[in-house]
Amino acid sequence: MKELVFAGFGGQGVLTAGLIISQIALYKGYNATWMPAYGAAMRGGTANCTVKYGEGMIYNPGQQEPDLLLAMNTPSLKKFAEIVKPGGTILVNADMVEASELSIREDVNIVPVHCNILADKANNPKGANIVMIGAISKLMGDFDHETGVAGMNDMFRKKGKNKFEAQNAAAFEAGYYAV
Amino acid sequence: MGDMTKGNIAIAEAAVRAGVEVFAGYPITPSTEVMEYLSTRMDDVGRTFIQAESELAAINMIMGVSACGRRALTVSSGPGISLKQEGISYMNQWEFPAVILNVVRWGNGLGSLHGSQTDYLRETRGGGNGDYRNIVLCPSTIQESVDLMYQAFDLAEEYRNIVVVMTDSGIGQMMEPCEMPEFKEIKKCDWGLDGTYKKKRGDFLDRNIIQESNDYVAKLQKMRENEQRWEEIETKDAEYVFVAFGTCGRVMSGLVQELRKKGEKIGLIRPITAWPFPEKAFTQLKKENKNIKGFITVETNGEGQMVEDVAIYAKKCGFGNLPIYCLPYVCGVPKDKQIMNDFNEIKLGNKKEVF
Repeated sequence: MKELVFAGFGGQGVLTAGLIISQIALYKGYNATWMPAYGAAMRGGTANCTVKYGEGMIYNPGQQEPDLLLAMNTPSLKKFAEIVKPGGTILVNADMVEASELSIREDVNIVPVHCNILADKANNPKGANIVMIGAISKLMGDFDHETGVAGMNDMFRKKGKNKFEAQNAAAFEAGYYAV
Repeated sequence: MGDMTKGNIAIAEAAVRAGVEVFAGYPITPSTEVMEYLSTRMDDVGRTFIQAESELAAINMIMGVSACGRRALTVSSGPGISLKQEGISYMNQWEFPAVILNVVRWGNGLGSLHGSQTDYLRETRGGGNGDYRNIVLCPSTIQESVDLMYQAFDLAEEYRNIVVVMTDSGIGQMMEPCEMPEFKEIKKCDWGLDGTYKKKRGDFLDRNIIQESNDYVAKLQKMRENEQRWEEIETKDAEYVFVAFGTCGRVMSGLVQELRKKGEKIGLIRPITAWPFPEKAFTQLKKENKNIKGFITVETNGEGQMVEDVAIYAKKCGFGNLPIYCLPYVCGVPKDKQIMNDFNEIKLGNKKEVF
């Protein structure tokens, strides 16, 4: 069972990013849970959610010791770096977090990705979170490129939002091959 | 397996499929998505959705619907349910069934937005004035929320009693896959008012109160006999038996199985009905298990609430002075590591029993 924490400012799409990963996991046949941090944390501060996926029932859906942290801004990195599992991964939005912050822990793999720039290049400027979904799929090693895109598109299709499929796939791909 | 579905949305859809004809409520975090969803969904299926001007109005609207023999639902969270207590007490008195969903949030007064189990005692003891009890259903997963909400109206009508479905921010806000049941056929209860004045009018002063009370107690006993629900894991040879419901029950279901693999002789009773409390699980355990050293409740409140019921029923079921421990974690989802550490403290004798 894998645990991931998605954190950033409200509006950066971290809750959606978590949901997309959980849907990709279901698409692959895993079970998944998604749990948001609720309430006042969403205004001004950090928004975050915890996703778990794996075989069988997921009993504890809460935030414990993530295998991967997505930190979309500096406050999120500072707040959640300490709970990442030793040997785990911190994926950082290099467009918002200073390079000097990247030495926050030595026992985890810290991966900076310029997700805003990559999203712009993929002609999907609102898709920085989707760039990171691509990167996460690669870093976790559980979803290949095709499965990731298919699972993501499947989710948006069911919501009737399939007109961005090509742009989302491009953003996903940019992230997938950036790490 | 279905798609990722939010607990509040899933439970709202389950109520629709169970045949709820009228929803009336007033929004409050963390229950609001239930209302938000029903605000369009009820219209889609030709039913009635009312955003009431207050909780008090909402519960009285529900009462009116129920009096007509129709299925009614209201939803709120801790403080909102407090405002509804007068109506709940009246509805149990007049035998008007309805389903009330409490997506519990932490705290007294206005409380906070965090998921918690601080309403256990209020829900299981009735909550309003008088001598009644509500059937209290405590799902621990989104699928179980759906399944219990789907049955809740049948239960309420069978006993003509209020049924409370008690979740919390955790179960309400989280997402996981679930399957939806088929739509039930909508039926009007034959005792419902129909505007023809065929029923005998009540007389507030000319009543046989003893008989009224005895009748209600007979109903309580019937509910206690027939409606206790629980799940148990590995209790037969356990030295310590955990008791946990809802979010904590879910966490403990996993942790007990994990620690069993490491050789810990532990088990779990997970109440699905908080009222009637699953006394039968304790009676059966007393017959089967000669190794037990203590019960441990895991709860998200300040000093334990269900622990009182565990102590009461452990005594009633013949466990004598067996120690009853409590691990209270205030709010949220307890962490496995923290529970394991605290369990060790109990075994080492550093954490003392509550009863």
